[in-house]
Amino acid sequence: MFLKRQMPTIIAISVGLFILFGHFINYEPIQHFVDNDATQWFDIIASFAIFLGALNMLKLQVLKVAKKQKNWQYSILAILGFAFAIFAGFFFRGANYVNLTEIDPDKVTQLITHISTIQDIKDPLLMKKSINSSLADYEIPKIFISRSNANHFAGLVSGLATDVTVGSKPWGAHVQIEGSLFSWMFFKVFTPLSSTMFALLAFFVASASYRAFRIRNFEATLLLVAGIILMIGRVPVGELIPWWVVSTLIVFGFGALIAPLIMDKKILFGIIFCGFFASIGLGIIFDWSLAVNTPEILSITNISEWIFDYPTAAGSRAIMIGIALGIIATSFRIILGIEKPF
Amino acid sequence: MDILKKIFIALGSMDRRFIFLLVGFSVLLPKLYPDFFTLPIKASSHSERVFAEIDALENGAKVLVSFEYGPSTKPEIHPSAIALLNHLFSKDIKVYAVALWPDGNFMATEAFSAVAEKYGKQYGKDYVNLGYKPGGEAVVKGLASDIRTMYTVDLLGNELDEIIVMENVKNLLDFDFIFSLSAGYPGSKEWVQFACDPLGIPMSTGCTSIQVTDIIPYVENDQIKGILSGMPGAAEYEQLVRNTLSLRGIDVNPGKASINMAAQSMAHIVIVMLIILGNITYYLTRKSTKKGGVK
Amino acid sequence: MDYMEIFGVWLSVFLTLSIFSYLYKDNPFYKAAEHLYIGVSAGYVAVISFWQQIQPNLFGRLWPRIDGNAEMGILKSIWYSIYEFLNWLSTLGGWLDRSIFPENGIKGFDQISFIYIIPFILGIFMLLRLVPKLGWLARWAIAYIVGMAAGLRFYGFLNSDILMQVKAATVDFSGDWWSIFNGLILLVGTLSGLVYFFFSKEQSGIVGKVSKIGIYFLMIKFGASFGFAVMGRISLLIGRFDDLIISNSAENFHATMWITCIMILLLAIWAFLEKPNNGDAVS
Repeated sequence: MFLKRQMPTIIAISVGLFILFGHFINYEPIQHFVDNDATQWFDIIASFAIFLGALNMLKLQVLKVAKKQKNWQYSILAILGFAFAIFAGFFFRGANYVNLTEIDPDKVTQLITHISTIQDIKDPLLMKKSINSSLADYEIPKIFISRSNANHFAGLVSGLATDVTVGSKPWGAHVQIEGSLFSWMFFKVFTPLSSTMFALLAFFVASASYRAFRIRNFEATLLLVAGIILMIGRVPVGELIPWWVVSTLIVFGFGALIAPLIMDKKILFGIIFCGFFASIGLGIIFDWSLAVNTPEILSITNISEWIFDYPTAAGSRAIMIGIALGIIATSFRIILGIEKPF
Repeated sequence: MDILKKIFIALGSMDRRFIFLLVGFSVLLPKLYPDFFTLPIKASSHSERVFAEIDALENGAKVLVSFEYGPSTKPEIHPSAIALLNHLFSKDIKVYAVALWPDGNFMATEAFSAVAEKYGKQYGKDYVNLGYKPGGEAVVKGLASDIRTMYTVDLLGNELDEIIVMENVKNLLDFDFIFSLSAGYPGSKEWVQFACDPLGIPMSTGCTSIQVTDIIPYVENDQIKGILSGMPGAAEYEQLVRNTLSLRGIDVNPGKASINMAAQSMAHIVIVMLIILGNITYYLTRKSTKKGGVK
Repeated sequence: MDYMEIFGVWLSVFLTLSIFSYLYKDNPFYKAAEHLYIGVSAGYVAVISFWQQIQPNLFGRLWPRIDGNAEMGILKSIWYSIYEFLNWLSTLGGWLDRSIFPENGIKGFDQISFIYIIPFILGIFMLLRLVPKLGWLARWAIAYIVGMAAGLRFYGFLNSDILMQVKAATVDFSGDWWSIFNGLILLVGTLSGLVYFFFSKEQSGIVGKVSKIGIYFLMIKFGASFGFAVMGRISLLIGRFDDLIISNSAENFHATMWITCIMILLLAIWAFLEKPNNGDAVS
């Protein structure tokens, strides 16, 4: 029971205190441990946690297939996808390269022609310059997934250099190199799936805005107006909105604000129309159609920037301080052993 | 008038798949017919600040660029990365890439492949890609203390001590600037909390639009020097970089963010129209419900 | 012609359109793509974490590269024989090539750091969560992570998110009237927003009024967040459409057009066949 209950609490308290006081202790071995080793341990254990997540996912999907639960057939795809990623990561390097030693300077153009058959060359002159600067030892800028393709290409270019070798990128580097099987999986499978999942939300945001975004009260109006001004002001089309549209919106907005205070609707409409004609008149007199003459307030872009820089920043700051206070309180509770999320 | 009301009420209950089609077309049409939809891009003060900070760096300065985004947020941040590398390489600044997200590795590789060769930059001599480490703020803290504790080899398996550009680079204090390309956690916030504030290293960020309102307090307080907010921010920065580099005799293609601004604008207009339409319908429906006697 | 590349383009278009098909309604294409995503992303993250962290930073510290010809003490020999045993396991008894455990150790560090046995053991404990009887051992590893995060965040959030933000909320009265006005907006907004979040006192009277102002500032913030959220999502959609348009080129044999047509046809057939059995909620 001590090992199951108290021991984790002791670990959390001691580690938390050590890390916190590590900022204030001027003793090199402790500071080195806190700044370097402790963070490394955290990273290593976090990596194992990632593995745990992956294995847990696999376990759930396998159980789903084994018990033939609803839509179990799709779980086979999940397992296959996982297996493919593991295969490309641990069992099949798929990162073969071709290296030429002592390239014949007269055959550089031929080499470029051969390279153009296996990949697009954006700038042949730049490639020629690059090859000429490394005639002694040049690696073809294309990674071959299969060894046989690499060997085939090596055979094609064997007459252009003294020695042509085919090699494999080291394990570990093979998951990062563009052109390897793992990177193919990343760009052709993971990327479209991941990006599209997020891109779907654009449609749902539009649909939700249309159906649910309602001006029910003053707060909702503020939210809506701020959102619309920022949406229009942050894109180039905001610059195209003329001053008189903005001045009209300001006048009507002001009218909406004072409407609850003025009982007589005729007076209200009078104020609004006077304001409207006054703004148009001023604009004509002072020639606000010229960009240099237009007051800054009559630009949606400037209004949106002001809203972003000041009221939004103020609200964000309040939330940030509130969250920070919460996190500090929770961290303190963990360090004191009161909170035990494990 | 009644007919108009009925039309609005009918529109209010339309199948959401029509809305999906509307949004889809509003994005697709400007992409298919870009000549009909060209819009000028005006840089905001935040993008101008980022540009000014990077432009003020001297030749030979060392900049750490952290890639904390993946393919899901690539359209928003990758154009900033490309424009940033164009800007940095044009000034002979040494670039050191790290990643706090696993996908950041590929994003970094892709960005370097797109830009480095144009400026004749060589891997290991002018830039290096150290790769991804899990752990979020613990990684940033570790880098603040000693890079070699975190990284023994770079992304391609080369030992750090064998890399020319890593000479005399021990920890974050050896960098002149940090740029975080961030899509969430871990990201800009962790760089501010564990590197820039404690060590006083200047920093800017290019982040997703969703994160912007959370980061703005740091920008207002000058903890972060300017921010590139999402794709519009990237488009503004691309424009600034392109204009400046063309004056310096370097030709830079229009970036992806700039090209996509027309589609972005159209989609925003459509969504604003939909919100206004929805509210008109709500108002009319509420009015007719009240008139019906049930309040 | 790179067949792998062309196959990759067609596959990516198919997967993209499968996910988009959800806009019509939940269908087999979407379900299949979703499950594939789950599997591939889990495998992907596991592989990257291993090769970027566990192998170089854990195994590299426990078994750094040594000179194969140099003489080793008995303890070191025993230690490296464990390394060889792990290699034997990882290569399935020598059947596969050496990968995780290269010959003579892992390059990177100079000396063995035995202290890293502790995170190794804690990491194994973490994995034991999958074994019901031994799952409680994972609590030790989680406790380390929780304690570490608590200690790290305490300092980071206190400094950057509280002290520096409170300092930033002050108003500089030496500037022009516009900057003073903006400074006051920031101060009033921050304070009133914080008052709103204070639930230990009933929000009535003067506290209620200040809290109301705080709500207004928060509503503006949420409106801005909404606007930016829409902006972000639309940007991602544009990115996908970009890729679909590029994939529709002649070099890729008009992949987008063909797959769209085939998918619409198949979905129509599926919808027609499913109609009599459709008892589920639609949209």
